[in-house]
Amino acid sequence: MSLVLRRTHPGVRAALVGTLVLCIEWARASIQAQPYMAIPALVVGGAALGAVALGTPADRLGLGTSRLGLRILGGMALGAVLLFPAAVRSGSVPILPAGLAFAAVAVSIGEELAFRGALYAALHEVGGAPLAIIGSTALWTAAHALSHPPAFLGAVAAAGLLLALWRWACRDLVGPVIGHVIADLAL
Amino acid sequence: MRRAALLAVAVTAYMVAAWMVAPGFYDGFGPVQPYNWTCPPPQAGANLKPSSGHLDIKVIGGVSDANSAFSNDGQVVIGFLPGAFDSTGKTTISVDVTPLPTCPQPAGIRFVTNVYQITASAPLVKSANLVLRYSNLEPAPTDVYFASDPAGPWKSIGAAQQAQPFTIVTTTKLFGYFAAGYASASSPPGAVSVGGGQTLPIVVAVLIGLVVLAGIPLAILRRRQSHGEAEEEGDV
Repeated sequence: MSLVLRRTHPGVRAALVGTLVLCIEWARASIQAQPYMAIPALVVGGAALGAVALGTPADRLGLGTSRLGLRILGGMALGAVLLFPAAVRSGSVPILPAGLAFAAVAVSIGEELAFRGALYAALHEVGGAPLAIIGSTALWTAAHALSHPPAFLGAVAAAGLLLALWRWACRDLVGPVIGHVIADLAL
Repeated sequence: MRRAALLAVAVTAYMVAAWMVAPGFYDGFGPVQPYNWTCPPPQAGANLKPSSGHLDIKVIGGVSDANSAFSNDGQVVIGFLPGAFDSTGKTTISVDVTPLPTCPQPAGIRFVTNVYQITASAPLVKSANLVLRYSNLEPAPTDVYFASDPAGPWKSIGAAQQAQPFTIVTTTKLFGYFAAGYASASSPPGAVSVGGGQTLPIVVAVLIGLVVLAGIPLAILRRRQSHGEAEEEGDV
C-alpha cells in the first residue's frame, strides 16, 4: 500500500491519503457507536490510522529524537493549552475506565500520525505549508463530523489548526502526539 | 517570529472556540451529556436534577408488547420482551422510572449513580434488560444493586459486559430500587485514578510549571549552542 502511494503523483497521493484517513475515521465512528464495539473500534481505528503513515520517512512525518527535550516540553505546553478552558471551568478530571484510556492513547497517536504526519506530508508536497495546514485541518474537522456533536466542531477545527501550525512552525510531530494524548486522557 | 505570532493567534482562536462549548476539548471518549445527579459530587459543577419516566405498554391478545421504559434524561433504560409481564386481565401495563430524592449509601457499597425506583402495574414473568448510565467523574461500577426498600438490604444483581462506555447492563425479574456501584471495601475498579476534586487545574498548572521551569534552562542551553556555532563559523 505504502509502496503504491510512494509511486503515484503527489496530488493523487495526497487525495488517496486524505480519502483513506477520512474513510478510516468515519468507519471508526460508525462502528464505535455499536454495542460492545467502542474500545475495539478505537484501538483498531488508531492502529489503521497509524498504518497510513507507514512508508513515509520519519523526518517527513516530523518525528525524530533531535531536540527531544524541547519536543516533549512542547507537547506538555500543547496539552496545557488544550485542557486550559476545561480546567478553568470544571475543575475535575473525569475518570476513564482503563480499557478506554488505552484506546484513547491508541487513537490519539494514530490520529496524529495520520493527520499531522502522513496527510500533512502528502499535502505539503503538493502545495507547501499553506495547503498542508489548511487541508489537514479541514479533513481533521470533517473526520470528526460523525463522532462529535455539531457544536463541538468549531473547537475541533481550532485544535486541528493549532496542532497543524505547531507541526509547521516547529517541524515537529512529537509535541502534537504528546499534547493530544494528555488531552484525551484528561477529557 | 512570524511562526510564533501565528501560533499565538491559533492558541487564542482555540481558547475562544473551546470556551463556547463545555468542557472545551472533547475527543469523544467521555459521555457528551453530563450526568444529572440527585446528590452531585463536589467536582460535578452545575447540575440538573435527574428525570423520571413513564411508559404504557399495550397488551394484545393477552400478551404484553415489547417496549422500553426510560427516564427522560436517558440515565435509565429498562427493556421488556414480548410477554414479559403477567398481563392477566389487563389491557395496558404502566411502568414508572423515578429517581429517589435521597442518596442512601449502604455499608460496604459505594453507589456511583442515583438510586432509581422502577415500578409496574404487573409483575414480570420474563427478565427485563436494565441499563444504567454513569458519570465519568466517578470510578466505573462493577455491579448493579437491587433492594425492595431504599433502606436495604441491598444485594448485587451482577452486571453483563458493558454495551457502551459509561453504561452498565444487567437483567432483573423484580421491580424495586436500583443503583450501580462497587463494594467499598475494595479499591475503585478498573479506572485510571487521576480524577476527583480539583485536579484538572492542578494538572494544567503542573504542565505549565514544567514547561516554564524546564524551558528556561533548555532555551539558555540552545542559545549558548547557537552562540558557540556562530563563534566557530566566525573563526573560520
